[in-house]
Amino acid sequence: MSPLLIGPLATGAISGLLALVIALTDRVVNNYGEVTVDINGGKKSLKVKGGSPLLGTLAAENIFVPSACGGRGSCGACKVRVLSDVGPHLPTETPYLNPEELARNVRLSCQIKLKADIRIEIPDELFYVKKFAAKVESIRDLTYDIKEVRVLLKSPASIEYVPGQYAQLVVPPYDDIPESVQRAYSMSSRPGEPDHVEFLIRLVPGGIATSWVFKYLKQGMDVDLVGPFGEFRVHDTPAAMICVAGGSGMAPFWSMFRDMKEKNTFPEKDIWYFFGARTTRDMFFLDELRALEKDMPRFHFVPALSEPKTEEGWTGETGLITDVLDRYLKEKIDPSKPKEGYLCGSPGMINACIAVMTKNSIPEGGIYYDKFA
Amino acid sequence: MKNTQLEKDARERMKPGVITARGFLGRDERSLADIIQADEEAFRRLGLEFDAVADRLEAWKESGTRGLGEPITVEGRWLVRTGDARGVLPCPWEDGVYHKNSVDVTDPRNGDLIIYSDLSVHLLRVHHFCQGLGSPFRLDPDTLARMMKA
Repeated sequence: MSPLLIGPLATGAISGLLALVIALTDRVVNNYGEVTVDINGGKKSLKVKGGSPLLGTLAAENIFVPSACGGRGSCGACKVRVLSDVGPHLPTETPYLNPEELARNVRLSCQIKLKADIRIEIPDELFYVKKFAAKVESIRDLTYDIKEVRVLLKSPASIEYVPGQYAQLVVPPYDDIPESVQRAYSMSSRPGEPDHVEFLIRLVPGGIATSWVFKYLKQGMDVDLVGPFGEFRVHDTPAAMICVAGGSGMAPFWSMFRDMKEKNTFPEKDIWYFFGARTTRDMFFLDELRALEKDMPRFHFVPALSEPKTEEGWTGETGLITDVLDRYLKEKIDPSKPKEGYLCGSPGMINACIAVMTKNSIPEGGIYYDKFA
Repeated sequence: MKNTQLEKDARERMKPGVITARGFLGRDERSLADIIQADEEAFRRLGLEFDAVADRLEAWKESGTRGLGEPITVEGRWLVRTGDARGVLPCPWEDGVYHKNSVDVTDPRNGDLIIYSDLSVHLLRVHHFCQGLGSPFRLDPDTLARMMKA
């Protein structure tokens, strides 16, 4: 054999041997075998292959913990309480957990690798969450930056949910987005039409999911949804509902109001809906909401513009929606009746509305909200 | 230009799918040191100060939050909308964690638009990093200069 070949051959042989050693070591060291995941004190027990993150392992077993970032540890949504010892909190988890959650050993399920048997606690409702294959039936422009997306469920072919709950839309990789992500949107549809789901989606400049919806999502396309999630819903009390939302924040209310009308649920409840926008081009469903007001006398619709243009000829309420809400609570809504607040929007909007409501004697414990964040 | 190990590590964390799905670099293939140096030169050429621009961006955000998620006209000129998303984002240089949000500011005079977050402001103020070319959150110095001009 030529001496010139000895060097490369020896290097190749050593590299191959090292690769074999690494592969064998990996199989031995990282082979955690079968592990048991006990959920909610034995309500469900799974035998799964160890070695993967808890979030993905649960999803493979059709238990879907909410997650917006697809397991990258950047949304902080996939919290579960862990009752077994899985080691201390990781630096990737602590920014998302408050002191109480840290003390209760709440963990991000995407950051926990299954190495041994584990006991966890999750909300029982997550047992009913499913992944749905659907087809886009229609996409409608409601404003220049809000679309209504209506999908037909194919498998499973129907969904049970409570008005106010949300589902996660699965966005596939596109353009420079290398991985699938999921984003949560309140369902604006009626549970009385269980084979369809509708969403109101507002374009967020630079937003991954909304850019995909506005650029690529078309009628007839297949999409996946995961849901239902969330605890935002109408509470069974005689108190009047004081609802506030603008833009796509209307989605859960559009579902609630139509369901209440259709089924005549909570008949003793008065409903006030405050809808804030900047100009008339930011408003939608005005005719539908006014028609609902006629059909359901206990429903009161208060649209308000913060910056109406003279040429729009707007004769309704003007000002920031918090100011309009304050005026109505002081002057127009019967002060003797109990009230509860329902809010959907950004944390800033919710905090501002809570301040107005509590100042007007609505107890903070009776204010329910679906924060976008 | 030579990059420190810290910059090399930060650049890795800026790639798509690490901290955010889209990353911070856009289509820019330059090193961090080169991106930062080019934008620092642009700031000098345009007479901009990083701290002053960061202060302005924070002021727009503060004013925009009064719109409660809806667009609002600030100081009679800029149209500002603030929004929030679930979760927080760590700085790629690992010196802080920031709430996930987005602020978009439009100058109706010429249609200029910038989009930024609390993390973008930190990257600009502390690291002089405007984000790579093609990143939707890039704070382009020329656009900033036009928007800040009276």
